[in-house]
Amino acid sequence: MSWKVCFLAPLLLLLMAPLAEAESGKALIENSAGFNDKAVTFGGEVIGVVVKSDNAWVNVLDNGVAIGIWCRAEDARKVSVIGDYRHVGDTVEVVGTFHMVCPEHGGDLDIHADNFTVVAAGRELDRSPSLLLVALSVAFVAAAIFVAFSLRRIRKEKEKIVPWPFQ
Amino acid sequence: MKVIGFNLCKFGNIIGALLLVPIIVAVVYKEFDIIPHFLIASSATFILCNVGIHFLHTKKEMDLKHALCFAALTWIFCMLLAAIPFWSTGSTGSYLDANFDAMSGFTTTGLSLVRDIDHLPYSINFYRHFLQFVGGVGIIVFSLTILARSEMSSVLAFKGEARELGIRPSIVRTSRIILGIAITFMVLGAVLFTAVGISEGAGVGTSIFDGVNYSMAAYSTGGFAPHSQNMLFYHSTLYEVVALVIFLIGSFNFTFHYAVLGGKRREIFKNIEIRTMFITLTLSTLVISGLLLFSNVYSSSAMLFRKAFFQAASAHTTTGFGTVYPAQIPSLWGSAVMFIMSLIMVLGACANSTGGGIKAIRVGVIAKSFFREIKKALMPKTAWVTEKFHHIETTPLTDTIARGAMLIAVSYIFLFVVGTTVTVLHGYNTSDSMYETASAVGNVGLSSGITSPAMPALLKITYIFLMWAGRLEIMAVLALMGFAILGLRRGIKK
Repeated sequence: MSWKVCFLAPLLLLLMAPLAEAESGKALIENSAGFNDKAVTFGGEVIGVVVKSDNAWVNVLDNGVAIGIWCRAEDARKVSVIGDYRHVGDTVEVVGTFHMVCPEHGGDLDIHADNFTVVAAGRELDRSPSLLLVALSVAFVAAAIFVAFSLRRIRKEKEKIVPWPFQ
Repeated sequence: MKVIGFNLCKFGNIIGALLLVPIIVAVVYKEFDIIPHFLIASSATFILCNVGIHFLHTKKEMDLKHALCFAALTWIFCMLLAAIPFWSTGSTGSYLDANFDAMSGFTTTGLSLVRDIDHLPYSINFYRHFLQFVGGVGIIVFSLTILARSEMSSVLAFKGEARELGIRPSIVRTSRIILGIAITFMVLGAVLFTAVGISEGAGVGTSIFDGVNYSMAAYSTGGFAPHSQNMLFYHSTLYEVVALVIFLIGSFNFTFHYAVLGGKRREIFKNIEIRTMFITLTLSTLVISGLLLFSNVYSSSAMLFRKAFFQAASAHTTTGFGTVYPAQIPSLWGSAVMFIMSLIMVLGACANSTGGGIKAIRVGVIAKSFFREIKKALMPKTAWVTEKFHHIETTPLTDTIARGAMLIAVSYIFLFVVGTTVTVLHGYNTSDSMYETASAVGNVGLSSGITSPAMPALLKITYIFLMWAGRLEIMAVLALMGFAILGLRRGIKK
C-alpha cells in the first residue's frame, strides 16, 4: 500500500500541476485558440469592477494584460480595493473557463469564473509629494512670472524711445 | 526664420496654459505629488516662449511658405513641450516614449507607449485624452480662436493645416464655430457615456471620469482609452454604440455639420464624402464579415457583425477604439482581414474633420475621375464627358482637382510603403507591419501588437514621423523640407 502511495502521489501531483498553475495574461491572449473553452487558473490584481445585478465583471491585470472575469456579484463584493494610481488592488485567483470568443458576451474574450478567491488584500500607496519637487516648481513659477514681467517692462521701455526723425 | 520662430513662441504660450488644465483633475483626485510636474512643465514653457518672443520679435506677417512651415513645426514644438509631464512623472520609460505619446495625442492617433495605463495618475490619464481633443479640433484652429490673430496670417496658417474650406468669411469666427460644435458633441458624448457606465453597473466616479475621457477620445477620433482593455473594460454593447455614434460624428466634415445643423438636411444624402464613406464602410464591413464567416471564428451572425462593424468603423474613421485585443488580431482575424483593415485605415475619414488618412472626398473624386476616364474611352472622340461632385455645393470635376487628390493619395501610399519597409526591416512580419504602419500614417491607433515600450528606438522615431506627416497631409512637411533645403543652399553660397 505504502509503495503505491509513494508512487502515485507524486504522479498525481505532477499531472495536476498544469491545472493548478496560473496562466499568464499574455499567454492566454497570444495563444487564445489553444486555451479556448478550457479550464484555466488566472490570477492578478483587480483594476475594475462592473456589477450587473446578479453577476459582475471583474477586470484582472496580470503583467500588463487585463482580462475580464465574469463572476457572481457576491464574489465581486469580496473585492475591497481596486487598483489605481493610489492603490494596489486586491490580488485574486480565478479558476474558470476561458473563452476566446464568448458566445454569451458578444464574442468578447473572457473567463467565466467557477471559483473566485481573494488571495491578498490590496493596500494604499504613499503618494506624498516630494519637497524638492515642490520647491523646484515654486522656483519655476516664480521665474516664469519674473521673466514675463521683466520682458514686458523692457518692451515698454523700448517703445517709449522715439526714433530720431532726421537719421 | 525669425517670423516662424516668433509665431511658434507666441503659440507655445497656449501650450503653457493647456498644461495647467490637468491640475484641476489632480486637485479633484488629491494627486498633490503630480501637480509640481505640470507646474514645472508649464512654467518652463512660458519662460522659453517669452524669451523667444522677446528676442525674435517682428512685425512681419507670415506669407504662404512661412505659414506652411509654421503649421508643420507647430506639431513638433508642441510635442516636445507636451511630452514633459509624461516623462517627468515616469508614465513613459523615456523622453522619446513621452514624445511618441504626445505626438500620438496631438495627431489623434491613439498608439501608446505608456507603461501602465491602469495605474496612471488620473490627471495624466485625463491629460492624454485632453491632448487628443485639442489635437482633434486642431491646435492651430484652437490658437486662432483664442488669439484672434490678424486675418492674413490666420488664413494661411489655416490652409497649412489642411482645413482650407472656410464656413464663414472670417477665419476667427470659423474657428469659434468649429470649437463650439466640438464642445457641444463632446459634452453630449460625456453625458451619454456616463449614463451608460452607471446603468451598466460601474461606480458613479468611474463612470464620470471614463465618460469624459472616452468622449474626448471618441469625438476627436483619437482612440486613447483610460483603461488598457480599451473598449473591453465595460463589456457593453451599449457603450460601444455610444462610442460608434460619437466617433462617426467626429469623422464628418465640419462644413457638413454646419450645413446640416443650418437646415440643409439633403446634404446627408447628396454629399460626396458621406456617400463615399457609406460605400467604403459598407463594403469593408461586408468583406471582413465574409472573411471571418469563412474562418468560423464567430458562432453567430450578430456577434460577427458586432465585431466586424465596430472594428471596421473604428479603422475607417481613424478612431482606433478596439474590441479585440491587439495581440489577438493576427491569429484570430488573419492576414486577409488585416489587409482590408490596413486599406481602410489609409483611406481615412472626411476632410475638415478630426480624422486622418487620404480622406473620403479625395477617394470620391479619384473614383469619379476614374469612371470619367472609362466613359471617355467608350465615347466617340468628339464627345465631351463631364463629371461633377456635390460637397456643400455642386462643383465640376476638373483635371486639376483630380490631380490634387491623386497627389495626396500617392504621397500617403509612398509613406505607407516606406513605413512598412522600415517595420519589416526590424524583423516584423509583413501583414503586422502593414497594419501598424497604416495605423500610424492614417492616425488611427489600432495595433497588431508591434507598438510597445520595447520596440526599437528607430521604429518609434519612424512612427512619430508618420503620425506627424499623416496628420499634416504631407504637403506642409514637403514645404518645410523645401524651406530647409533652400536655407541650406543659401547658407552654403554665402
